[in-house]
Amino acid sequence: MAKLPKPEELLQINYNPPPTEDWMDRPVELKQGNFCWGAKGKNLAAVEFPNARDWTPVEADWKLPKDWEGTVLEAMADRLSKYRSFKVFMDICVRCGACADKCHFFIGGGDPKNMPVLRAELMRSVYRKYFTTAGKYLGKLAGARELDLNVLKEWWYYFYQCTECRRCSVFCPYGIDTAEITLMAREFTNLLGLNTDWISGPVANCYMKGNHLGLEPHAIMNSIEGMIDDIETITGIRINPSFNRKGAEILFVTPSGDLFADPGTFTAMGYMMLFHELGIDYTWSTYASEGGNFGFFTSNEMAKRLNAKIYAEAKRLGVKYIIGGECGHMWRVLNQYMDTWNGPADFMEVPKSPITGTVFDNAASTKMIHVTEFTADLIKNNKIKLDPSRNDDLVITYHDSCNTARGMGLLEEPRYIINSVCNKFHEMPDNTIRERTFCCGSGTGLNASENMEIRMRGGYPRANAVKFVRDKHGVNMLANICAIDRATLSASMDYWVPGVRVTGVHELVANALIMTGEKERETNLRGEPLPGKGGNE
Amino acid sequence: MPVLEYSGGKIVLDDEGYLENPDDWNDKVACALAEKEGIEELTKDRLEIIRFLRDHYRKYNFFPVLNSICKNVHQPKGCTNELFMDPLTAWKVAGLPKPNAQVVGYLKGEGGVV
Repeated sequence: MAKLPKPEELLQINYNPPPTEDWMDRPVELKQGNFCWGAKGKNLAAVEFPNARDWTPVEADWKLPKDWEGTVLEAMADRLSKYRSFKVFMDICVRCGACADKCHFFIGGGDPKNMPVLRAELMRSVYRKYFTTAGKYLGKLAGARELDLNVLKEWWYYFYQCTECRRCSVFCPYGIDTAEITLMAREFTNLLGLNTDWISGPVANCYMKGNHLGLEPHAIMNSIEGMIDDIETITGIRINPSFNRKGAEILFVTPSGDLFADPGTFTAMGYMMLFHELGIDYTWSTYASEGGNFGFFTSNEMAKRLNAKIYAEAKRLGVKYIIGGECGHMWRVLNQYMDTWNGPADFMEVPKSPITGTVFDNAASTKMIHVTEFTADLIKNNKIKLDPSRNDDLVITYHDSCNTARGMGLLEEPRYIINSVCNKFHEMPDNTIRERTFCCGSGTGLNASENMEIRMRGGYPRANAVKFVRDKHGVNMLANICAIDRATLSASMDYWVPGVRVTGVHELVANALIMTGEKERETNLRGEPLPGKGGNE
Repeated sequence: MPVLEYSGGKIVLDDEGYLENPDDWNDKVACALAEKEGIEELTKDRLEIIRFLRDHYRKYNFFPVLNSICKNVHQPKGCTNELFMDPLTAWKVAGLPKPNAQVVGYLKGEGGVV
């Protein structure tokens, strides 16, 4: 594995491509630290993916199936006829360049093929050759090229350097969604067994055991019991959540990272403390134990299969609706795809808060609401008691997760909550938040260990905005509502902006939440002294 | 594959130093693994951590939640790093197989979990 360069080395970025060379003439060079290892055959076989075998990208022979070109072109023809968006996005780009400097990977790395326009051109050039008259006859003159092994490797390298964050699409005058093009590229490479181990491992785990990490039911319960012990130590209150309980009103589903790793575990403690205080009738599931959906990074069909598990469990338990935890891509799948794939979920009811009576018509079909929608409604209706001063040691900023911000427009609820439970909050610069938020740099299954260089490059624009508010306002905590953010921003903060830590929003909520019958709290959920109790104010 | 010799015989390790077969483990193997990892002595505190890890793995087939380790062996917070440099070293000395890549990434502070 390549050694991660120091930050000052990584910042030596050259934005000038070779002046005389045509991009088509430059063969792809797979640089270690910028890609993930190939999928293991056993994980591809577990979900019946094609061409299941062990392979490694650094060897010349990728062990491709016979007539792989035919497989790709046939799939391309199929998707062009099936998805009108894909056809339109292949045709309408005028190469104005508005997107060119909007990608975090281009900003942090300077590789021209990470400009969204050129990344898409990698595929458009093949589309022109086989699916347009001009391309068929005029070839390179019309911007067309044949699909060959070098092109395939170039696709693989660069479409697995796109996090499908869709920031570029915000700036495109035509609204071209480059993420949709990456989704298609991943579908095609998946047909050849060219997935990465980092994605296919969690997909296989989720399919077989219910979650990406591969936690078995009793391990999940053990993890949650440990959190309950900690909650009792901190608050004096013993809570008693239920698992796989038929007849519960609400099924709660969150990313499995929240069940295993800090700081996600503190967020999970936050959910449970809030639900206990409200006395709502909810259950965990040890089967639908994953909110995220790494299937979405392989193919639409696999994403649909994993998404269906949550709804099958909701049906089995007979719940009225689902509350989903703080996750990113889980919500793009839910908000933009689920209804077409597995919906409408007519066996459930339109979500209605048992505390405020608010009906969430926005989830009338999916029957699933985001926990920040639920909590913001509670606060708006004055249903919980809060002491924001317990978070006074924190100076907070908020990172909009790409998928919740651009994928579902969840912009105000998290901010409303944070401003209700904390006294010190500062926004990052306007062009780095809300719809224009910068990606963490590690989404869509890029959060591995072997590609730390590209992750840190891609994480640089976000980290730079955090650095700005750290230096200007003393920000020391980066809040977000995404499990991948909680895991990967911790690493990128350590690398680019040491001293800034990462938190989920419901950790902040639970710190401020005044629970009925609680003892005087001495520490926060991390076991650190509260302000005025030996901590720093 | 690397073979580690110790006073009671030989054991096979994988390329990264994890014991190939967790059932090969015993106190003497633990001492040999500890020496290989640069741990001076398997004190009572260290052995408590190792036994907890082995017990947890046997029951749950997974790495424990990190902050549960010290809590369960009634040692101060951060005991694993203090006594073994890092949790993965303790896991290796406990003779357990390499955790999945997501867990390793998390334990190394690279993000990992999804």
